[in-house]
Amino acid sequence: MILLKRDLTKQYILKESQMASARATKRFMKLAFTPLAIFSLVLVVPFATGFYYTFTDWDGFESTKLVGFDNYIKSFKDPTFWSTLRFTTLFVLVSLVIVNVVAFGLALIVTSSLRSKNILRTFFFVPNLIGGVVLGVIWQFIFNSAIVALANKYNWEIFKQSWLQDTNKAFWALIIVTVWQSSGYMMIVYITGLISIEQDVLEASQIDGASPLRTLLTIKIPLMAQAFTIALFLTLRGGFMAYDVNVALTGGGPFRTTELISLHIFQDAFANGNFGTGQSKAVVMFLIVALAALVQVTVSKRYEVQR
Amino acid sequence: MKKFAKLGAALVASTVAISLTVAAAPTASAATCSKKTTVEMLGTIKTEIKDQFLAAVKAYNASQKCYTLKSIPGDAKLTFLQNVTPMYAAKNAPTIMYTLQEIPDMADKVMDWKGTKLVKLVSPGLLAAANVGGKQVGVPSTAEAFGLLYNKKVLADAGIDPAKIKTRGDLEAAFKVLQGKGKKAIHFSAIWWSLGAHFTNIFHANAGKTHEARLAVLDSLSDGTKDLSKDATFQNWLSTFDLLKKYNGSTVNLTDTEYDASIADLSSGNYGFLFQGNWTEPNLMTAAPGTDFGIMPLPISTTATTYGNDSIPVGVPGYFMIDAKQSTKAERDGAIDFLTWLYTSDKGQHFVADPVTKGGMGFIPVYNGFKVQPATNMARDIAKFVAAGKTLEWINTYYPAGLQETVGKVSMQQYFTDKISSADLAKAIQDAWKGSVKTWRGAKK
Repeated sequence: MILLKRDLTKQYILKESQMASARATKRFMKLAFTPLAIFSLVLVVPFATGFYYTFTDWDGFESTKLVGFDNYIKSFKDPTFWSTLRFTTLFVLVSLVIVNVVAFGLALIVTSSLRSKNILRTFFFVPNLIGGVVLGVIWQFIFNSAIVALANKYNWEIFKQSWLQDTNKAFWALIIVTVWQSSGYMMIVYITGLISIEQDVLEASQIDGASPLRTLLTIKIPLMAQAFTIALFLTLRGGFMAYDVNVALTGGGPFRTTELISLHIFQDAFANGNFGTGQSKAVVMFLIVALAALVQVTVSKRYEVQR
Repeated sequence: MKKFAKLGAALVASTVAISLTVAAAPTASAATCSKKTTVEMLGTIKTEIKDQFLAAVKAYNASQKCYTLKSIPGDAKLTFLQNVTPMYAAKNAPTIMYTLQEIPDMADKVMDWKGTKLVKLVSPGLLAAANVGGKQVGVPSTAEAFGLLYNKKVLADAGIDPAKIKTRGDLEAAFKVLQGKGKKAIHFSAIWWSLGAHFTNIFHANAGKTHEARLAVLDSLSDGTKDLSKDATFQNWLSTFDLLKKYNGSTVNLTDTEYDASIADLSSGNYGFLFQGNWTEPNLMTAAPGTDFGIMPLPISTTATTYGNDSIPVGVPGYFMIDAKQSTKAERDGAIDFLTWLYTSDKGQHFVADPVTKGGMGFIPVYNGFKVQPATNMARDIAKFVAAGKTLEWINTYYPAGLQETVGKVSMQQYFTDKISSADLAKAIQDAWKGSVKTWRGAKK
């Protein structure tokens, strides 16, 4: 009897806990439903619709029939699509390296024992608070007018013609502005990494007589590898997605040689009215960015130290 | 219709029926309306005359009680399609739209103007570009012209009479005289739309003596059968390109800041000529009050009597279209009412044709029965060319979407900065046209 009773109690408790978990699931569903609905509404649905459009004859207003892979074939046959992709890849690689080197350098400066470090921190971060288009317009003036005027006065040969007039120089103009804009932000990521390193490890290395460079290379960098993963991912994505600075600074010129992929897609769809190919190029670009980011995160994760 | 009848029945039954039916009776004047309808228009025709246009809108809204016209700002940095497609997708299309190149894209979405008062007041030639397969999809805003603009004082001081410049040789002689007087001959603008749309049009408009012959050139370019290097008009056009490049006194600037710089240069009194259109006149007059500017043909041939040498390209810069897919009947009526008021009422005509200095838009009238005459120099010059029949067509109206970008931003700017040879330029233009859909023949993309 006693046994049976215990059994019953057990069963009861079991049932009770099942019910509780069911209630919890219900509560969770209620709670999760709102963000999930918003997520699908603003992300999943538009993405799926856009993906569907690449297989139709969409003209920006309506689509009448399915055309299979026509849009993708047309995109791949477009030589400017490939030249733009090449230019974008180059832009991503160069900006990725320079932004991160500069940002890490700035982070080291503002975490050192420098007296002006707090002012410098604000100073380096400010360019990030200016919107891309405004930034582009400001720098367009600097490259087109300000520098040229100074160059003519002081006879600096290299600046006498506006940098935006020449493909190679316009590329570096884009890099300069991008570095100027995003280094401050990446600096913050690196600062977080640097100050999260525990003091005891640093003190131990100091007692062992490690030089500052040695400390940096074998203690600091491995211990803050996570910061690199994040910063590299952000700059990689930012490089592929770069648009506003591109539009406002060079506008794709000269001769449409500095059009980054986002601007190229936008032009194809909205200036030439080729919404089908524009959209399919956007899908291709999404795949490229996703793949590049996946590889980058997997590789840099390997260098992270688990403690 | 059925819905309408139901609504009417409900109104009769209500206690306010009497007053409402009186208001709705056709005999009542336009000043009495039961309900105000808001009519939306995208943009302000042009950004240059935004303030003047908005003043006209305000005056219209105050002049009657049925409609409230509202101009919704588009993004001037974006093209017409970039502005309009998201609005259509959101089922929030503007009732009045104004554009030129995208007319074929919009033709099946907008109202047919046929039979309206405004259409009857315009000559068929000015309606042609907005007639798609027999449907009149738009009505014109004004006429504009481009060519060689000149600073009257600078030319007079140098002893140059623009009316006597009849050939390319005469033009070079005038350039030399200006340089001899210590002035810069011409500001030749490298801005992409000036090169891609207007400068290329100088070739296309001179390429045939009839409308049909000019369209045939487009056909052959699309078919890939045209060899531009063997075309005499194209060679003349190239030589003119070279001439303007040679005497260009300004620093080459390929970016958008170029437009303001060109206006500043011509109004400064240091330059004689500028290749642009009469739409710059308000800006020129604001920059240099009291200075007069004129417009003259750009002669490309060395023989004065060659077709087109004495004419300027005059065309309609844009057409008003009224949406038929997402607007109500009341909205369409309001849209027609506003545009009719603007071009036929005394007050509206003043806003249209008065110079900017008097708060008008400085437009050249294209509707018959205009009582207000244009008062600015360039407008009067153009009126004279129109009266004498010395006008060239705007073939650029028929360019396929994106072509003027491809040609203007790439090959024309490359030739301008000596990156490619003239043979390369001819080939690049041929390549850009090859295979393009013949929208000028009514073909669908």
